[in-house]
Amino acid sequence: MATVTPDLQRGGGPGGEGSNVLRLGKPFRYTVLILVGAFFIIPIVASARFSFLGNNNSFSFAAYTQLFGTPQFWSTLWLSVKVGVGTVALTLVLLIPTVIFVHVRLPRLRRVFESVSLLPLVIPSVVVTLGVITSFRNLPNIIYGTPVILALEYVVLALPYSYRTFDSAVQSIDLKTLVDAGQSLGAGWIKLLRFAILPNLRAGLLGASILTFAFCLGEFAVASLLSFTTFPVFLVQVGRLEASQAVALSLIALIFTWIPLALVMIVFSQRRGARRGVGVESAIEAAVAD
Amino acid sequence: MSETTEVPTSLGRGGVEVELRSLSRFFKDTAALKSLSMRADPGELVVLLGPSGCGKTTALRMLAGLDAPDEGTILIGGKDVTSLPAAKRNIGMVFQSYSLFPNMTARENVEFGLRVRGQRTKERSDRSSELLGLVGLSSMADRFPHQLSGGQQQRVALARALAIKPQLLLLDEPLSALDAKVRAQLREEIRRIQLELGITTFFVTHDQEEALALADRIAVMHQGRLEQLDTPLAVYSNPATEFVAEFVGTVNRLRGTVVDAETVDVELVGKVAHSYGQALSPGSRVQVLIRPESLGVTPAADEGAEVISRSFLGASTKLSIRNPAGDPIVVEVSVAEAAGVADSAKVRLFARGEALLVRPALP
Ligand SMILES: Nc1ncnc2c1ncn2[C@@H]1O[C@H](COP(=O)(O)OP(=O)(O)OP(=O)(O)O)[C@@H](O)[C@H]1O
Ligand SMILES: [Mg+2]
Repeated sequence: MATVTPDLQRGGGPGGEGSNVLRLGKPFRYTVLILVGAFFIIPIVASARFSFLGNNNSFSFAAYTQLFGTPQFWSTLWLSVKVGVGTVALTLVLLIPTVIFVHVRLPRLRRVFESVSLLPLVIPSVVVTLGVITSFRNLPNIIYGTPVILALEYVVLALPYSYRTFDSAVQSIDLKTLVDAGQSLGAGWIKLLRFAILPNLRAGLLGASILTFAFCLGEFAVASLLSFTTFPVFLVQVGRLEASQAVALSLIALIFTWIPLALVMIVFSQRRGARRGVGVESAIEAAVAD
Repeated sequence: MSETTEVPTSLGRGGVEVELRSLSRFFKDTAALKSLSMRADPGELVVLLGPSGCGKTTALRMLAGLDAPDEGTILIGGKDVTSLPAAKRNIGMVFQSYSLFPNMTARENVEFGLRVRGQRTKERSDRSSELLGLVGLSSMADRFPHQLSGGQQQRVALARALAIKPQLLLLDEPLSALDAKVRAQLREEIRRIQLELGITTFFVTHDQEEALALADRIAVMHQGRLEQLDTPLAVYSNPATEFVAEFVGTVNRLRGTVVDAETVDVELVGKVAHSYGQALSPGSRVQVLIRPESLGVTPAADEGAEVISRSFLGASTKLSIRNPAGDPIVVEVSVAEAAGVADSAKVRLFARGEALLVRPALP
């Protein structure tokens, strides 16, 4: 998952250039690529083979057809997607104003905020879970007794990924100057964000959303602790009973995460490519004209 | 000056009067501005000049409303705008760093201020065409900032600032990221446009040459204070303080003795006039500040100062000279006069202009 984010950031960000690995020549690069690829692909291929294994080592879709026939498969998946979408929405609502405010008004506290955002990695998720439960105990039942509480948990737990991704995107533009320019041109905060700032942070928003969503679709501990049968919880339950179904299920989970991810990246790189296409020729023109 | 005053051209709105009244701004341990007061007349181009950290940007940001003074008042067109937010001030600003919105084309950037004001598409595009024409970038309207050179980006930034028909134009070292040639060219262009629109303008720089070339008046700042606000000629030839004399142009500090209210006797040079008599009694030891071009050289037989080196400046030659005590003196003379003295030769100095300032000698 983590390999996705740097790629989504536009080039030229901090530390984006001058990597020593890139200078070690092609053979080395390809070797590394193949090794890393194998590391990821071999287990997937092995699982896929296993999941298609029927009786007497024959090829069979049985594991899949049985799964799709289980009502719980669809209900838990739907629950996870709902929680995921809710978490992403809530994360964005909190993240956008906070990070922008810190960059514009409290630049000196940037490091502090970043460290705080990393806390969920350090504190065991059980502790965070209990913390959130205690803090929200007095809230109405709509939140406390429903998956909404799960979304609230996930906003906090996914913060290390979402905050850092968005923060480094903001870092890569000269936010303060853009804000100053926009305000002196008469724009209020809403128009400023809508037209001049957020469009330049699309990569960061996308990255933060994808990471958060993927986190929600894969989180097990908290969901089972709070006794919600989300997709990953269902996956574990099935795994106890039926191994080949469990493997099939995790492959499906993988695909469900990959599809939106791939779609988003394709759409995104096309847009970027289109712009760059114009860019190359006109940059040459600019150089000649100047 | 009311906002409705129309100027002949359709582009601008003409100038307003601007006044800063004892502005102060404190950051934790530093005072960025200390009771800064100044006034700009309608249509005037005032250059804020001073060394790094003297508070130029701070002053400009306060004019723009991007920062608020801790003390003092800002009047624009006679109205107190001290607590008016930036978005309501209708002031055009060009920044030192590239500030175009990366997601918008040059045209969209120029139109941004109008879009925010809810202007219709047709009017917007008419106006952006007009302004891109004004800065000579009509053919690049559809390019994104990353497809433009630094100079072109600053032109677009200028057009964007002017599109909203600002009552005041603020430029914070807009040329500092550009190379010398583009810089000089764009400087001329900014001046032309500013004159054409008659818009009151503050231009920040720490480059004295830029200040002298552009300004109607120069405000020399030092450590958050205003040292002098006057025409380039006056600032150069009649500096109010030692700091101004040293910061704008080059000066020599020579030892001398007061003769009378209008004359000093300078070591190695002889009698020098100075037109602003001060309360210094005849015979007192003084330090005389004098420009390189106010001095001349003649060959001397044996004693006197010694020519160390020379640099040819085209129309003139700069000679580096050392007096017998070993102090450096810089003299700028015509090429012919410089040819009359050889390197390492002994020379005598004489005055061809007045002294800038006369100060009591340090004990
Ligand atoms: N946000 C801030 N926080 C703390 N100190 C500040 C801040 N902004 C400016 N200062 C201080 O105020 C003083 C004036 O700064 P300012 O940016 O106005 O200088 P300047 O004349 O524009 O310099 P330069 O030519 O380098 O741009 C400096 O000493 C600076 O360190
Ligand atoms: Mg500055």
